[in-house]
Amino acid sequence: MTANADKLTPLEDALAACANALAPHREAAFASYRRQGFPHRRVEGWRWSDFKAALRNAPGASAPIHEAAPPLAGDLAGLKPIEIRIVNGRIDFKAEPLPDGVRYGIVDAVGTIAELETNAIASLNVAMSKKAFGVEIGEGVNFTRPILIRHINSGAGFSFAQCMLRVKRNAQATIVETFEGEGAAFNSSLFHVDLKEGGALSRAILHETGAEAVIHSILAVKIEAHARFNQVALSTGSRLARHETHALVLGDGASAEISSAALLSGERHSDFTSEVKFRGAACQTRQSHKGVAAEKGRNVFQGKFKVERSAQKTDARMNADALLLSDTAEANHKPELEIYADDVQCAHGSTSGALDERALFYMRQRGLSYNAARAMLIEAFVGATFDEVAHPGIEQAFRHRVAKWLEGA
Amino acid sequence: MLKIDDLHVAVSGAEILKGLTLEVPAGEVHAIMGPNGSGKSTLSYAVTGRENYEATSGGLTLDGEDILGLDPDQRAAKGLFLSFQHPMEIPGVATMNFIRTSLNAQRKARGEGEISAADFLKLIRAKAKIVGLTDEKLKRPFNVGFSGGEKKRMEMLQMAIFEPRFAIMDETDSGLDIDALRMVGDVVNSLRGSRRGFLIITHYQRLLDYIKPDRVHVLAGGRIVKSGGPELAKALEESGYEQFIEAA
Repeated sequence: MTANADKLTPLEDALAACANALAPHREAAFASYRRQGFPHRRVEGWRWSDFKAALRNAPGASAPIHEAAPPLAGDLAGLKPIEIRIVNGRIDFKAEPLPDGVRYGIVDAVGTIAELETNAIASLNVAMSKKAFGVEIGEGVNFTRPILIRHINSGAGFSFAQCMLRVKRNAQATIVETFEGEGAAFNSSLFHVDLKEGGALSRAILHETGAEAVIHSILAVKIEAHARFNQVALSTGSRLARHETHALVLGDGASAEISSAALLSGERHSDFTSEVKFRGAACQTRQSHKGVAAEKGRNVFQGKFKVERSAQKTDARMNADALLLSDTAEANHKPELEIYADDVQCAHGSTSGALDERALFYMRQRGLSYNAARAMLIEAFVGATFDEVAHPGIEQAFRHRVAKWLEGA
Repeated sequence: MLKIDDLHVAVSGAEILKGLTLEVPAGEVHAIMGPNGSGKSTLSYAVTGRENYEATSGGLTLDGEDILGLDPDQRAAKGLFLSFQHPMEIPGVATMNFIRTSLNAQRKARGEGEISAADFLKLIRAKAKIVGLTDEKLKRPFNVGFSGGEKKRMEMLQMAIFEPRFAIMDETDSGLDIDALRMVGDVVNSLRGSRRGFLIITHYQRLLDYIKPDRVHVLAGGRIVKSGGPELAKALEESGYEQFIEAA
């Protein structure tokens, strides 16, 4: 049975109505979504993140527009960032004086995205987004001030947003993206990044929404020769939260470091899914994921390295480790290697387990309460994820959120 | 001080301690010797409250207070310390933070004030010098990459810092060279006093050359089968445990 043969849900109905007003170049993207429908557990790659089920009873209306955003967390304000607020898809920011070579503003959203056409939600985003927030860092500019993009979930309904970033040759940029808000809306975001030769991008993701949000985010990044891409993410999950990273490592000698951690309690769900395609030679990637799930928390990690024939001397390693704090918590890991080059070093590993009872006893024998020992061990488990965050303020923001989660866990 | 009365302990359904009775008065150092599998480590875990080493019957008191119902951390706050036979490596846990947090947790439970970061740094550096651990080792995650001997030094460092009321040392001498044995002796002897007690579990007489025990007990088959003065340890070195295994 295809998605179209099912009776349409109110959300699907509403989306179909929106499609009547699409610009012609977005019709193909919408058709791609319609062919596939919302992904569900019988679709490869979506087995543990069933958007169709999560959105079955979603209202057939766009999420409410709000002028006001919740105040910025103190530690993020301390970064003195350029702040962009995207409340249920509506982009809002203040114009600020910028150094030469740096510019940002509203631009046209992308209308096609060939490499993601099998991703129904990406297709839907492409169809529905008209405008995007765009940033450009000019050649050789080392822009150290963080650009903070706040994706704020409010009320119910659906929303779509796009961002674009071009980091030109030998330029550097730092992006922080938060996913926040207490709403139950379905927010989809798509972020396009061009990282030119010798450029460097650090991206931090802080997912800290309320428990009801349904979030799907995709970053598609093209990494040219000798460019460096570094991404660190922390998610405390929500009803359904999936952050996808699609990296195309085009140029020789480029590197990508991708780290993620999930801290999940209640019935929260977190999915980090990624694909790194290696096309250039002698590129290096390190990827790690640490998932902690308590109660009925659901930790999903899917990582794929695809090494094309041209990508000789690729050096790529992936590790995913899960810590399960209850019998009803889940860890679902799917590390994959697909290698067409013959002179490469690629490896992946995956573990899952409970807290080490011997370590717990040792620490309690030294005087720590069960909760204090447990918190220290969990912090130790996820802590290494943030060791390589270059910006001290951003590193602190991560660690502060881990500590806050541990207080409540 | 520490009084164990007809203690029975089962681990995974198998009874390991079968009516062990032992009293170590304040100010004394007692040694426990015994063949492999006689229940020495089980005794150390049962006294310090490890899960799954619960007493099925019998009594355990520290200074007259029943501690059998207490959690491991509550027993630690009462002043019970275990030097582990196989100390853990705990990746990701910063050594100094762990020891300081533990010390402060104990102090808080006893109604004492917390030690400041600066005072703690002074304290740990002074004690680390005594046990022979460098600053570099203190900066590593807890015990990670340490040799067996270094892990035992870390146990002695914590004992020197916590200054426990009663310490159980489970084969602290195993894997130690002569210099390290002397260091262990120095740490114990510096802490020895009228208000403290020690229970030293060992296979060999050699540690007892540095720490002169007041009493020596032989543990075999889950109970104390013989007690005597320091000369008993020397006699055991010559005769071995065979007679006790048969008797048990």
